[in-house]
Amino acid sequence: MDLAALGLTLHLATLTTLCLLVLATPLAAFIAHRDHISSRLLQASVALPLVLPPTVLGFYLLVAMGPATAFGRALIHILGHPVAFTFSGLVVGSVIFSLPFAVLPLVLGFQSVDPTLTGTAAVLGASPFTVFRRITLPLARTSFLTAAVLTFAHTVGEFGVVLMLGGDIPGITRTLSISIFDSVQELNYSAANRTSLVLIAGSFLALLALYARRSNQRDANA
Amino acid sequence: MPEILWPHHELSIEAQLGVLHLQTTLGLNAPWTVIFGPSGSGKSSLLQAACGLTSKASVDFRRCVWTSSKTIRVEDFPAINASTWQTVSSLPTHRRALAYAPQHAALFPHLNAGDNIRFPSQVSEPRSKDSVLIDAVLELFQLHQLAHRMPAQLSGGERRRVALARAFAVPNARLMLLDEPFTGLDRKLRDELLPKMQAWLAARKIPVLSVTHDVDEALLLDAQVIRLADGRITAQGPARDVLAAERERLLQTLG
Repeated sequence: MDLAALGLTLHLATLTTLCLLVLATPLAAFIAHRDHISSRLLQASVALPLVLPPTVLGFYLLVAMGPATAFGRALIHILGHPVAFTFSGLVVGSVIFSLPFAVLPLVLGFQSVDPTLTGTAAVLGASPFTVFRRITLPLARTSFLTAAVLTFAHTVGEFGVVLMLGGDIPGITRTLSISIFDSVQELNYSAANRTSLVLIAGSFLALLALYARRSNQRDANA
Repeated sequence: MPEILWPHHELSIEAQLGVLHLQTTLGLNAPWTVIFGPSGSGKSSLLQAACGLTSKASVDFRRCVWTSSKTIRVEDFPAINASTWQTVSSLPTHRRALAYAPQHAALFPHLNAGDNIRFPSQVSEPRSKDSVLIDAVLELFQLHQLAHRMPAQLSGGERRRVALARAFAVPNARLMLLDEPFTGLDRKLRDELLPKMQAWLAARKIPVLSVTHDVDEALLLDAQVIRLADGRITAQGPARDVLAAERERLLQTLG
């Protein structure tokens, strides 16, 4: 069991989840509430990592974050060092790669809030921001949990983007899934098995917690 | 001696709601005006259009103005100072200073009854800290006992009372819009509440525009009735005149 890789993976997944919950909320609110071509364009862009091969995404992120683009140069300027093959590069890549897993559940959550409630709140004097904060957010709170669990689990399991963007540097960019790949390459099947079992158990427990909470909520509402 | 009249309010709405073209000017000369009509006549849509709630896709909302002047005297009447006209449709929904109780109560399910009622004063700009108003509203609708209950723990009639109370708790409302306000309330409670509500509104000079298909209710309110059919006004006047035929029928079935 590669403990360094486990620690690194948990660290990466936690950071990615936190960044995404902050970033995804306004994006999801925009997609859910604007019936305009701009929000459909945004939704399609956000969902793109769902259908793209991770290597394609990883490749373009590698190029984009390098010194060849303005974005890459700005990133290097802000962080003070090139981001490819570093941990911060992995965080940026994971945030983009897991974007749909955070945004789409939130869009569904926001859209499921009864428009009569938000409309009534507005007539009673609440500004659009207040309606969002006082009505939409609390009523869609379970979708934040869904978004967090999915993002976390997805980041833990990602492989292609990490390999393209971070390579395989122990303690810096070697995550659990890369560690498994390495073990298999070295024909160390028992090590690969141990790490894989940890991933399966962790993912299963996360999903179980999510669904158990949902059914509790249904009982409470009934 | 010039006698102070009920302030003159006028609400003029022109909207395209799906297939229904709505073009009406409602003179709200009485404290309580009832829009009366069969289902599908555009009653609720009219209230929602006034609130700015109907979705833009189906609504061509051209005009919604009302006049409101608190000191019109007999000799001025019906001259209306044009400067008091206000185009409401240019205002976003939350700045229209309306109080609204929608058809199905629409209580916020994550807030208890008391917090639902406090909501309008908490979100008003400037923030109102008028706990006297909240207390008075709770008293008016006999809700002190229920303030800590969640909406899911309330009966239909109790939910309706909380929704009405929430509308009454809007600070500085200029117009009260009530969509079928007494549906789900038992008759005894309704008859008990009505005079209290009317006294409250009269004291604050807030006109009411409510929607009903209940003849009995319109007669009981002694309201001005606007009969609506296919989005057009077909009759307008005191309840006992406009609803004379229905009243006759009602008396016959009773007696």
